[in-house]
Amino acid sequence: MKNKLENVRNIGISAHIDSGKTTLTERILFYTKRIHAIHDVKGKDGVGATMDSMELEKERGITIASAATFCEWLEHEINIIDTPGHVDFTIEVERSLRVLDGAVLVLCSVGGVQSQSITVDLQMKRYKVPCIAFINKCDRSGADPQRVINQLRTKLGHNAVALQIPIGLETDFKGVIDLLAMKALFFDGDNGERVRTEEIPADLLDEARKKREEMVEAATMFSDELMEAVLEEKEIPDSLIIEAIRRGTLERKLTPVMVGSAYKNKGVQPLLDAVTRYLPCPADIENTALDLDNNEATVVLEADPEKPIVALAFKMEDGPYGQLTYVRVYQGTLAKGSAIVNTRTGKKVKVGRLVRMHADQMEDIEAISSGYIGALFGIECASGDTFVSPGSNLTMTSMFVPEPVISLAISPKDNKSQINMSKALNRFTKEDPTFRTHVDDETNETIIEGMGELHLEIYVERMKREYNAEVETGKPRVAYRETITQRAEFNYTHKKQTGGSGQYGRVAGYMEPITEGTEDFLFVNEVRGGAIPTQFIAACEKGFQQSIVKGPKMEFPVTGVKVVINDGASHAVDSSDMAFQAAARGAFREGYAKAKPVVHEPIMKVVVESPTEFQGAVMGLLNQRRGMIVGAQDEGVMTVVEAQVPLAEMFGFSTVLRSATQGKAQYTMEFALYRQVPQSIAEQIAEEVALRKKSAA
Amino acid sequence: MKSGASVFFIPWPAGRTNKLKDRTINMIKQELILRNPLRHLGFETEDILPTGGFGAVLAHAGVGKTALLVQLALNSMLRSRNVLHVSLQDPVNKVTLWYGELFNHLAGQHEGAQTNKLWDSVLPHRFIMTFRVESFTVPKLEERLNDLTAQGIFKPEMMIVDGLHCEESNRPALVALKSLAGKNGMHAWFTVHTHRHEKPGQDGLPASFSPIADLFDLVLELQTEHADVHIKALKGAVSATPATALLLDPSTMLIKDRS
Repeated sequence: MKNKLENVRNIGISAHIDSGKTTLTERILFYTKRIHAIHDVKGKDGVGATMDSMELEKERGITIASAATFCEWLEHEINIIDTPGHVDFTIEVERSLRVLDGAVLVLCSVGGVQSQSITVDLQMKRYKVPCIAFINKCDRSGADPQRVINQLRTKLGHNAVALQIPIGLETDFKGVIDLLAMKALFFDGDNGERVRTEEIPADLLDEARKKREEMVEAATMFSDELMEAVLEEKEIPDSLIIEAIRRGTLERKLTPVMVGSAYKNKGVQPLLDAVTRYLPCPADIENTALDLDNNEATVVLEADPEKPIVALAFKMEDGPYGQLTYVRVYQGTLAKGSAIVNTRTGKKVKVGRLVRMHADQMEDIEAISSGYIGALFGIECASGDTFVSPGSNLTMTSMFVPEPVISLAISPKDNKSQINMSKALNRFTKEDPTFRTHVDDETNETIIEGMGELHLEIYVERMKREYNAEVETGKPRVAYRETITQRAEFNYTHKKQTGGSGQYGRVAGYMEPITEGTEDFLFVNEVRGGAIPTQFIAACEKGFQQSIVKGPKMEFPVTGVKVVINDGASHAVDSSDMAFQAAARGAFREGYAKAKPVVHEPIMKVVVESPTEFQGAVMGLLNQRRGMIVGAQDEGVMTVVEAQVPLAEMFGFSTVLRSATQGKAQYTMEFALYRQVPQSIAEQIAEEVALRKKSAA
Repeated sequence: MKSGASVFFIPWPAGRTNKLKDRTINMIKQELILRNPLRHLGFETEDILPTGGFGAVLAHAGVGKTALLVQLALNSMLRSRNVLHVSLQDPVNKVTLWYGELFNHLAGQHEGAQTNKLWDSVLPHRFIMTFRVESFTVPKLEERLNDLTAQGIFKPEMMIVDGLHCEESNRPALVALKSLAGKNGMHAWFTVHTHRHEKPGQDGLPASFSPIADLFDLVLELQTEHADVHIKALKGAVSATPATALLLDPSTMLIKDRS
């Protein structure tokens, strides 16, 4: 088993939306004989690419959930995680990257390194994923792989080194030249399945020699042996170059660049060769877990199938046969019938059915060994949970989960939808930690929260399609926050004497903004001499904490407040926990009103890429939306405008942008920071809140 | 710096405490303005360059041309003057980094929350445009600038051009820039990359720069001597010899506080 581990590759294919990830995956599956026909993403045959298992994805031509697929190439086992391309689903991308050992970064030869590629690249850096670049769409007009390589260097800081050069470009794109073997490769047959090797065309020979020299020179940095061979002008064996490039790639100090066109079936097989040659096997990567029994000390995991099990559930899917849990085994062997413990819940379960996934179909297997990816049936868990052998208490490092910035009220259209909707929500929240849901106590509406308009839209659609739950949606709401800007004192007495035992409590002190650190709420008890008996201090804190959930100003959560209590009074009979909680709530209201509360709103970093001629229009659009334009960057035919825009102004932006630029511009958006809302807008928000309250009542 | 700042320590009337925050921010602002690098060179007025005027900072690679210009820009921004930063070498991200870093160094000793607020308030006074050096033309810049001014998005009062080759062969472009600056009521600062092998002429200007020096009202040079960077005025200084030598701190690229 162990010697086979060297032949395992867990790879992801990540890229900017529309750069052809799904098409590429489709071709890979075809050449590795996992599928027997090719369907295009937006194909006319109505079947859609195999990887896009969800109907919705087929319709929109995008991939949302990362499906794990297994295939074989030259005695290597390759697990492919197809990752989503849209920024709204970055949690999916990040989760996939966590379980990958290497990645193929797909770039469009026309669009080059776009803003989304930068985000994806950042994520790869965060999880230290080695990658090779594939410059796709060399058949498109305007294709310029060399420009993309330069962008890889300047924009992403990769030491990008071409291992191939294209033969012809745009409509003349015929094949590729392999700089290692110094041969020309052509792809024959209906689906390019026959690779024909020929001598390099005479007109390209000089360029190929020059590029090969560049490649060898870059590789010498990682191998002394190769360096010597080059200096002594000896014949250089291919294996030496391959080894050097592989070493550079694993260290993330070199990025091999391949070219091709997945759609035209060119350059895919050499890419697979490169995957097996240069990307790491599970044993090459050091993975760590945290030991909960030992103060969360880091433990290095060994890809040894004999050791106790450590596995990470990285994706849930609700199939027709129940919940399917994708796992990556980091250590030990997950076999049918073995007992495993979910570290988060402490529950012990027995492994039932184990499968290996191929997009929609599955294949039963006996065991998943360390380094492999597979799926479990009938295990109740959430994504991100760690499974271990009984007796150990390890957890894989928790993943970075951003806070949601947008919310939407939804209500089911009929009774049947009601039940289905709650089923769907239950599933989605387990699948995606950035998707949250709760019921508003006052309006009794179900609120869903997420990372962007499209993120929520997709879930609403999925509810309809997969769960048959028709829901009505309200207007998207921005996650505003309240905070105070100055210190204010409070001294509040809660007194009630209407029959039965009374209630009495007095709480005094002050509140002030937290200026340092990132804490949202601080409670400090400076009461001296038992003015408030110690047993009621906790009640006071609870009262304050209840208050910050919904600010008295506009009912948004209150953040950045430090509350200090330093005096109070109690009554021997009438004081109780309840009374002090009420007193604290009153005290908060009193102090808050005097502390000049303000509303903060989420500001998004918006990056728009558009042809230069529309640049003025784009800047106008951003400016109308209270955007602050940081700058405009000239990228030849395209211009990149970067701005900070309040999320509240970004609703429907994609439609407006499309119509203003003839659909030629695209944008990405991610959360940047919270900033105070200008006075006039704050008034508008207040009106809206008042209106909502009225309609709810 | 000291004489100006003390004014703000007059006790504020009670009951106006709500202005306290604004006051501290204004105070920091004033203090930072008073650190204007050019004051040290003997310029007392705030705008040394007239409308349409050109200033240049000459130095070898990596000495701190951009850093000095970004400090001038920050100074303008603090005084609520709009700055257009045109960079022909760095992408927008890198330029914003320059500003962020230098601002943090400049405002380093003040409380985080206050400086963040100040940073938020000065940011709208900056606009970055980047071009590739080979595709940069003045008409292109003018078109972009018109995009901004016509829609009322941004109207610069100062322009920084980083990375343009200031040589005789580029005279037409510089002349066009001068008229563009004059038309839009701006003055402009340029970085000029000098080479070590180039011997300076009699006036101290490098040979490649001398022929176009007539276009510039003020020429500063950064010179490394031992561990220090000296700022010297080669042309246009008020007095021929500035009272004291002006130093840049090589670690922060800020003007050194000699007090």
